[in-house]
Amino acid sequence: MYPFRVKVLVKIIGLLLVIEGLFMLACIPFSVYYGGTDLIPILISAGITIITGGLMWVIRRKYDAHDIGKREGYLIVSLTWVIISFFGSLPFYISGAIPSFTDAYFETMSGFSTTGASILRDIEIVPKGLLFWRSMTHWIGGMGIIVLSIAILPFLGFGGMSLFWAEVPGPEKEKLHPRIAVTARRLWGIYVVLTLAMIILLMLGGMNLFESLCHAFGAMSSGGFSPKNTSLGGYSPYIQYVAIFFMFLAGTNFTLHYLILSGKVKKALSGEELKAYISILIVPSIVIAIILVFARNYGVEQAWRGALFNVVSIITCTGFANEDYMLWPHYAWFIIFLLMFVGGMAGSTSGGIKVVRHVLLFKNVSNVIRRLWHKSAIIPVRLDNKPVNPHILHNILAIFFLYIITFGIGSLLLTATGLDVISSMGSVVTCMGGIGPGLATTGPVANYAHLTDFAKWVLSFMMLLGRLELFTLFIIFHPAFWRR
Amino acid sequence: MARSNKINLNAILKVTGLLLVIEGLFMLSSLGFSAWYEPVSFSTLVFFNSTHDFLPLLVSGTGVCLIGMILWLLNRNLDQNSIGKREGYIIVSLAWVIISLFGAIPFVLSGVTTNYTDAFFETMSGFTTTGASIFTDIESIPKGIMFWRSMTHWIGGMGIIVLSLAILPILGIGGMQLFVAEVPGITPDKIHPRITQTAKRLWFIYVLFTLVQTALLMLGGLNLFDSLCHAFGTMATGGFSTKNDSIAGFSPYLQYVIIIFMFLAGINFSLHYFALKGKFQKIFSNEELRLYSLIVLVSSLVIASAFISIQGTPVEKAFRDSLFQVVSIVTTTGFVSSNYLLWPFFTWFLLFLLMFTGGCAGSTGGGIKIVRITLLFKNSLLELKRIIHPQAMLPVRLNGKSIPQEIIFNVLAFFLIYIIVFAFGSLLMSFLGLEFESAIGSVASCLGNIGPGLGIVGPVLNYGLIPDAGKWLLAFLMLLGRLELFTVLILFSPTFWRK
Repeated sequence: MYPFRVKVLVKIIGLLLVIEGLFMLACIPFSVYYGGTDLIPILISAGITIITGGLMWVIRRKYDAHDIGKREGYLIVSLTWVIISFFGSLPFYISGAIPSFTDAYFETMSGFSTTGASILRDIEIVPKGLLFWRSMTHWIGGMGIIVLSIAILPFLGFGGMSLFWAEVPGPEKEKLHPRIAVTARRLWGIYVVLTLAMIILLMLGGMNLFESLCHAFGAMSSGGFSPKNTSLGGYSPYIQYVAIFFMFLAGTNFTLHYLILSGKVKKALSGEELKAYISILIVPSIVIAIILVFARNYGVEQAWRGALFNVVSIITCTGFANEDYMLWPHYAWFIIFLLMFVGGMAGSTSGGIKVVRHVLLFKNVSNVIRRLWHKSAIIPVRLDNKPVNPHILHNILAIFFLYIITFGIGSLLLTATGLDVISSMGSVVTCMGGIGPGLATTGPVANYAHLTDFAKWVLSFMMLLGRLELFTLFIIFHPAFWRR
Repeated sequence: MARSNKINLNAILKVTGLLLVIEGLFMLSSLGFSAWYEPVSFSTLVFFNSTHDFLPLLVSGTGVCLIGMILWLLNRNLDQNSIGKREGYIIVSLAWVIISLFGAIPFVLSGVTTNYTDAFFETMSGFTTTGASIFTDIESIPKGIMFWRSMTHWIGGMGIIVLSLAILPILGIGGMQLFVAEVPGITPDKIHPRITQTAKRLWFIYVLFTLVQTALLMLGGLNLFDSLCHAFGTMATGGFSTKNDSIAGFSPYLQYVIIIFMFLAGINFSLHYFALKGKFQKIFSNEELRLYSLIVLVSSLVIASAFISIQGTPVEKAFRDSLFQVVSIVTTTGFVSSNYLLWPFFTWFLLFLLMFTGGCAGSTGGGIKIVRITLLFKNSLLELKRIIHPQAMLPVRLNGKSIPQEIIFNVLAFFLIYIIVFAFGSLLMSFLGLEFESAIGSVASCLGNIGPGLGIVGPVLNYGLIPDAGKWLLAFLMLLGRLELFTVLILFSPTFWRK
């Protein structure tokens, strides 16, 4: 292997920091308009970020970004999330809106990883410029994830991701750069258009521009930060349905949106993952709606909306709430808890294990059972009628195992900080999945403020781990990765 | 394999008949303790009187023997060598259900419980060596019935050894063919000869250990009855005790004896066989045994240090309590020496996580099994390496041998099903009214054949409060866990029944 090209790494991260700083500046209009006290802190933070990034870029400008190979890819991806979260937490910290750095970092990591777990007890007293930045971190994170899951991870060759993007046309070079550029342009176009569409629909429902923007950012990135303490609970059913619809779209593979826009509707709608995704949304919603009608005397529409909203919000890993599911019968929120492991479709902005992996895992099981009978027959697992390479299957099975183990160990670490078992399990699964609300003391109407600093760092790490599909991060800790 | 189109029902009936006769004889052997503790006179020969158990045991023992004999005689002309794979799956699943259905009879006839569901739950819990009980006051049960209750463990343990070291490998369940390949014996397509050979060797070890433990317990001042019952519960990794507070009231010496034998019962019995043959090299190089010891040691030390630093427990007691409970859970025995739900949160959460690891393959322990966890870890680590070196062929290796990909897929499928069954089982239990912790605790415990769970089924409580539907569900989960999932699940697969 070749030595690491650290210099290229510095250049790219510098570039990303400059972009981050510019996005920070975009919060200024809202800061000025609402006359908050956050104008100066935002300016300072943006200044620090842009200057640091600019310097990093300038001193390494000679290096060609085409030199990036696989190994640099892993490092960039993991480091980027850590570093932009550090700079992204500056506005919160400098303004004093979040006095503890741990809290500020948690909030920002939660934003960039599109988790949506918050440590703010009272969101509405935070100045609007900062709130806008908070939602903006989601939106930037979402952009990053689309590129990550559809262009970068397949290139790095794992998670079976190479399977799911095959439909997106684009050059397949050995080097990472050209493919990213092409794919990113196409898919970001879709992302931006969908965000705009949602903003317009929300404003038609009577929401003001600021809140519409924030909620659209939260929904399309499947993040879940809301500028309201009650999340979407205080809004009209129309607005809630709009949110449901766009959460659903955000949890769909973005290459399907691309296919539909290029007229290949039939191809887009025939995928097995899409079918599984839709049935996983519909069936639990119906079950929960029935529970709510009978056990809580809800009206039918209210029960259906409550169930559907929360199921969609959890499966797409968004984490918006329109009511507190912890107040439902315990077997209803148990379903929600299990759904936290599912995740949306691969190639969407959602987190979790991802529906396609579950599909393949189940197919492997039925294959194993069948093989007990037809010893001689070699039956490959098939997806959309194409045989799946055993390597990919291996990889997916490994991810599932590591996911469960990480969940177990993470929950154990949290209980060691004195958090009760239900809250611990809920917080870990929700942070790994990039969802937001957990169970019990970290439920939809609660927040993460009462956790110890250690617990917050553990959870921040879990968010990153889940976001990077475990392997991208774990691989850095493998000795073979550093061997030349 | 020449597949017969029709399932050989007669062979199934014959084998089941034979098993019933054996069960009946075991039942009759409980009469000794019954008569010893409650001298038989005409007035004590009654049914449904929860203090007298002689007549109920006599009648059910004889009855079961007779039914078994009839089944056997009707099909006696059949050659057992004609049993194929398919009959194997059915016999294994059916045997556990049928002997539990019959084994429950003494409980009902003696009147210690009036509810057949409870009696069945208790018996299934016994034969699957789970040790989950529905009895609130164990000590009030007459001794003959109590002996039968512990005996179900011991019989179950015998069944499991043969099952996991001889039958399941042939049936190809969950990668078992691999973990036991070391046991010498012929491997023809037909099940019969291999079972007989393996069974004779390993049962000898099992009986030997049981006797040694009984003797050691008696040396510690326990009477013959209690010693036998606890030895049965230990070697089978069952967990039924004759005391209401399990073994909390025992002296440290007795607790250490039980710890050692639980640990031995959780080890692959083929390793014991090697030890007797003097092949120690094979034992020390066994990776599963190493990880098993490591898990036990590390978890105990973590919990013990928590006791010492948080609660100020004396060192010896902290170490003993934590070691006891960790060994009891990891080997899926389920004896209790202190109420772990009163421990700090994370220590009992750690125990909860350990409920999933289980003992070694080829032991009487349940759960996922350490060797599977080892393979899964190795595969995941290798996956990282495979990503870095995509061209390299990197097979998973165990004990120096590379493992076929097919086995890895099989083990991973097992892991997935285990997690899915756990999740849906817990969901169903919560539908039946159990709160979160009790639901996940009872399911993890029954699926892993452990016994004590969390919440309302915690270590000092019992399963009596669970609604009947929940008891049937849990009994099914015990069976599922005991038979390594696939043996039972395959019966629900349409291809199994297709001609």
